[in-house]
Amino acid sequence: MDILGLSETVLRLIIGTIVVALFGIIFGLLYKGIDRKISAHMQGRIGPPIRQPFRDVRKLFTKENIVPENAIPWIFNLVPLLGLVATISILIYLPIGGFSPIMSWGGDLILILYLLMFPSLAMVIGGFSSGSPYAIVGAQREMATMIAYEFPLAIIIISIAWKLTQMGSENVFALSTIAGTPVWNNVTGPLGFIGFAILLLALVIVTPAELSKIPFDSPEAETEIAGGLLVEYSGRNLAMFYLTDGVKTVVMASIIVVLFFPYNLSALPLLGLEGGSYVAYAIDIFFYLLKVFLVILFSVTLIRVAIARLKIDQIVYTYWVPLTLLSLVGLIFIMWDGWIMNLLGLL
Amino acid sequence: MFTVETGSGFWNPIIWVIVIVVTFLLIYILRSLGKKGYKKDTEQIKSFLSGNPEYPKEKMHIKASNLYWGFTTNLKGLYTLLRKMHTGNTSDYVLWFVIILAIFLVIEVV
Repeated sequence: MDILGLSETVLRLIIGTIVVALFGIIFGLLYKGIDRKISAHMQGRIGPPIRQPFRDVRKLFTKENIVPENAIPWIFNLVPLLGLVATISILIYLPIGGFSPIMSWGGDLILILYLLMFPSLAMVIGGFSSGSPYAIVGAQREMATMIAYEFPLAIIIISIAWKLTQMGSENVFALSTIAGTPVWNNVTGPLGFIGFAILLLALVIVTPAELSKIPFDSPEAETEIAGGLLVEYSGRNLAMFYLTDGVKTVVMASIIVVLFFPYNLSALPLLGLEGGSYVAYAIDIFFYLLKVFLVILFSVTLIRVAIARLKIDQIVYTYWVPLTLLSLVGLIFIMWDGWIMNLLGLL
Repeated sequence: MFTVETGSGFWNPIIWVIVIVVTFLLIYILRSLGKKGYKKDTEQIKSFLSGNPEYPKEKMHIKASNLYWGFTTNLKGLYTLLRKMHTGNTSDYVLWFVIILAIFLVIEVV
């Protein structure tokens, strides 16, 4: 790569990073507002206005940023910042609407899975550095939750990659490969379809734990441990965690969209749109935002309204026993998909 | 350029570092818009304990082993079995090693 090409790539990367950071923050807060409004209506309440999360952040910025006497100040102040930074960095690797990832060759799905741990780890480290018993209990619970949900999540990712390998794809963990060959197009019979549907269900159940939402929010558990790992946070530090939550919601929903619903409306021959035109990009972005909204509705809003908070041992059990077994059943169905069809002479 | 490839996965650390630096600067500027100070010599800096008294630190210490409580409680049956197997006798561990190795060999042959 020559100097001109390199500087162009770096410039593209810097501008792209700023754009996705603003996108993640704005839409993260917007979806948070929509989620709160819909969940309030489901519970028979009016709920706050959709712009309330923006007001919350603005108000947190005007509040004092208290550092408790038992805390380790530099860690206590740094980790909320790092959590948000790492979460935003994931958006660089994800396709958004009709746009390819800003740096599709910069990292794959395995990298994204590691980066997804950063915000949770930031909360854990922040909790431990708070020097509060509530925060330490919350941090320990967050760690246990992370250990629990990584197991089924790994099975889901491996299953999709295995299927792509069987299809003869290269770079099976690359987001561009996964988005380019939607899983539903790879099935040969009903077993494969059911298998991927099971994996989708498992991922939808993993999502609230990734986002520390009810019923898997025991690390925060306001009514029991007064906010847990966030109990000592206030002001702009708390605002950073608040923003991280919003951006991570968009990230998780986008991952589900890429893995299971990477379709774009502009590709439909019915619309007769020219690929790469502004109208095509606009339609794809709108469709992507709609898909993200629907994923959040089903994996966050509906679940947190319908189910009460689980205890930490129940969370571990949920992920290690039924959900891991469910994911394995999904994987077996996908493995048997082509074999059964061959056996029945349908292929 | 500088992309690490493992055969099935890949990532470029330079790209990630650039992204992290740019995002860090952006978020740092955003964070600096918030209020900075607080009242250092007041009750504000005490840990929130729901009104309970704060005992000496050694009495309020939360053990690291609590982390595993969720696992040991709901997988009690499995842990009871594993504890029985965990005899501390080296010859028992070698025996387990040989048994597992034999099972793997049988699977490999089949």
